[in-house]
Amino acid sequence: MAEDIVISGSGLGKQFNETVIAVEDANFTIPRGSFISLVGPSGCGKSTLLRLISGLIEKSGGDLLVRNAEVEGPRSDIGMMFQKAVLLDWRTSIENVLLPDEIRGTVDQDAKKRAWDHLQLVGLKDFEFSFPRQLSGGMQQRVALARLLQTGADIMLLDEPFGALDEFTRERLNDELLRIVEGPDITTIFVTHNIQEAIYLADQVFVMTPRPGRIAAQIKIDLPTPRHIDMLTTPEFNKYVQEVRDVLAGHLDGQPL
Amino acid sequence: MSDIGSDGVLAGVKELTPVQKTLAHGLVFLILFGGWEFGARAGYVNELIMPAPTSIAYRLYEMFFVTGSIYWHYIITMYEATMGFIIGVSIGMGLAITAAISPVFRRYWAPYAVVFNVTPGIAVTPFIIAWFGFGWSSKIALAALVCFFPPFINTLTGLLNIDKDATELFRSLGSTKKQYFQKCQIPSALPIIIAGLKLAMTGALIGTIVAQFFSASEGVGILMQRFAFRLNMDGSFAALIVMSLMGLSLFTLMEYMDYKVLYWRRHSRMEEVGAKRKRKWMKEMGDMSQA
Amino acid sequence: MSNDQEASVSNIELNSQYTGTLGGAVIRHTLIFFVIMFIWEMANRTGFSNPLLLPRPTDIVASIWKIYVTQGNVWYHLWVTFQEAMLGCLVGTVIGIALAVAAVLSDTFRQFLKPYIIIVEATPRIAVGPIFVTWFGFGMSSKVALAALVCFFAPFVNTITGLLGVQEESYELFRSLGANRRQVFWRLMIPTALPTMNAGLKLAVGSAFGGALVAEFISAQAGMGILMARYTMSLNMPSAFAGLLSITLYGFLLFRTMEVIDRRVLYWLDDDLMAKKSAKRAIKFRQELGL
Repeated sequence: MAEDIVISGSGLGKQFNETVIAVEDANFTIPRGSFISLVGPSGCGKSTLLRLISGLIEKSGGDLLVRNAEVEGPRSDIGMMFQKAVLLDWRTSIENVLLPDEIRGTVDQDAKKRAWDHLQLVGLKDFEFSFPRQLSGGMQQRVALARLLQTGADIMLLDEPFGALDEFTRERLNDELLRIVEGPDITTIFVTHNIQEAIYLADQVFVMTPRPGRIAAQIKIDLPTPRHIDMLTTPEFNKYVQEVRDVLAGHLDGQPL
Repeated sequence: MSDIGSDGVLAGVKELTPVQKTLAHGLVFLILFGGWEFGARAGYVNELIMPAPTSIAYRLYEMFFVTGSIYWHYIITMYEATMGFIIGVSIGMGLAITAAISPVFRRYWAPYAVVFNVTPGIAVTPFIIAWFGFGWSSKIALAALVCFFPPFINTLTGLLNIDKDATELFRSLGSTKKQYFQKCQIPSALPIIIAGLKLAMTGALIGTIVAQFFSASEGVGILMQRFAFRLNMDGSFAALIVMSLMGLSLFTLMEYMDYKVLYWRRHSRMEEVGAKRKRKWMKEMGDMSQA
Repeated sequence: MSNDQEASVSNIELNSQYTGTLGGAVIRHTLIFFVIMFIWEMANRTGFSNPLLLPRPTDIVASIWKIYVTQGNVWYHLWVTFQEAMLGCLVGTVIGIALAVAAVLSDTFRQFLKPYIIIVEATPRIAVGPIFVTWFGFGMSSKVALAALVCFFAPFVNTITGLLGVQEESYELFRSLGANRRQVFWRLMIPTALPTMNAGLKLAVGSAFGGALVAEFISAQAGMGILMARYTMSLNMPSAFAGLLSITLYGFLLFRTMEVIDRRVLYWLDDDLMAKKSAKRAIKFRQELGL
């Protein structure tokens, strides 16, 4: 089955100054519609890799192609979500969701209706006109997700978006995220330091190790979809967890984190 | 406030109702001023130094309702302070915005900002008077000078210290510099800009009054000084109270501005503004619940 | 009662983010300075600018020499103003801190103090100048009094903010250790509040100078304020400028000195000093234990 490769990197690297090699020799291909988790401890370069793909920072060496074109900067088919919701405090939820359209100058009835629908989709009915400070952390991230959907990007890069939330909210949002991005259209890259979350969400897990940042392993996750919370306790799931741990342990022998 | 800070004897005071609190305040006020009045009348305090509250009150009444002499001075002073405020703030914010947008400009002007900060603007008063003469322009000039700095430094800091994540967000959405400036920098910086404006308001009034002390023929400041030098202490205190009133009205104006503009810092205001925007949306888009 | 102005000039000072290397900046600015001076001098000599408004740089330098060396009269006036400002600052700060501590330790006191503080805050405190001069005479005490009044506010507000900024968890810790009120005050509240109090002190020093100068403008026989006033009145602009430059220079030196003291007292906010202190304490500890 010919897979549609939407992102590919070969020998990709990023060096910040003489001593800090954030990413070294990253080789990967990401098919369209897949969900990739980037997992690793702090400082392993996963955020940097994500930002390279998004075009926010420039690579130091190697190749990086998105849809067969070199990455030159932020593009409208790539959308990002951060650990902090980064909502504008002085705008209501729906105004925050409309920000991408405002910047592109495409605000019309259609866009507004889509913004409304996106807020319904992420479960924020009745909170369309609330301000960020009136919302909980989980709700703020939902607004951020709605904003990401509004960009119409079909490549979504998420940098530990649920890291600051409590476990229960995180689990709920994980399920909702999967529901929203399922299907062949949206390609998702999800950065996290939580091994279970990484495996639960993904089709493939890229395990990264630090100093220098490298993709130490690319593990295909053969669990049934749609994922269910009960899977977390199955032996198959835990085998994957162990596999990831082994990769990390193997490369982190004796190094303080 | 933790109970470690409480006053043991009157700990119950916190639980009073608003009405009772006002009465309590009123009581304290009466005690203080009653004591003062008594001291003045009974000769404990020299009336020349510290006139009785009632004579001050009478003088106020006289100034406002009998001779009406105060209105002209009041208007002049307010005019000078306001003009000085407008000029000082415009220049201050204008320079700050330019410095925020253009790194080149910033590079050359930053050190001078340091130098100017250290000179008390007041010290320049003799020069201002010498340059602008005895008329109202010197008052406006000094007011502008004194109130230039807070808006400048606050606007500059506010515009430059934007949350890194918000900046990245805008970049990732492909925004232009102008859009970033209008939709991100300015709103983020508003709280600190307004704090600077508040300081500028007080500064403008101070500048006006000091310039009047130095040399003026009209204005509440010089009025007060004249009264004092002629040992007309009731008049002097009365003029001081008028200046208090000016300050208080400016203060209220500032708080109102803060209340209206910075709505996202107060829950009640957020509710208000949210509801207003919802109504506007519904009117424009029709009832969305049919979606 | 709030101290919203978080901005400080050090945010835009000569740090590499804004001006490139320090060495480069110094050279660049010195060059610009000399160019400006040259243009200024030439404009004056060729009659472009009125020497009564902006005297020639060479004349200014000559005056500096005169007032410092040949006549040497500036020393006395500097000393007078310095005394007035420092004494006023001391008095104002002490009163400000004392009131603040009382307000924090006693809720009742704070409640009753609040309305009066608001009124005092709204009144331009400088305006009391003529009254003080009438009360205290033309000598130094009126200047000290005005300086004290003017600079009392910043330490007051900052001390309150600082003391109230102690976190609930810290109080809980001390309570759980059985600390009494005195220990909580001296070992927890004061150290926590020190950074903010220090900021207030810096503001106070600046305002105290302003207050002293204004009092001198109103009427004085000695001091930098009256010196500059006399020079400008007699149109001796070069000397007046010389005086202004002196004040600027000393203000700058004072500012810097305060920053140094600031950093030493608040050693835990500076990485280098922390390392040194920690090393020193390690040595002392080991000695005591005979290790």
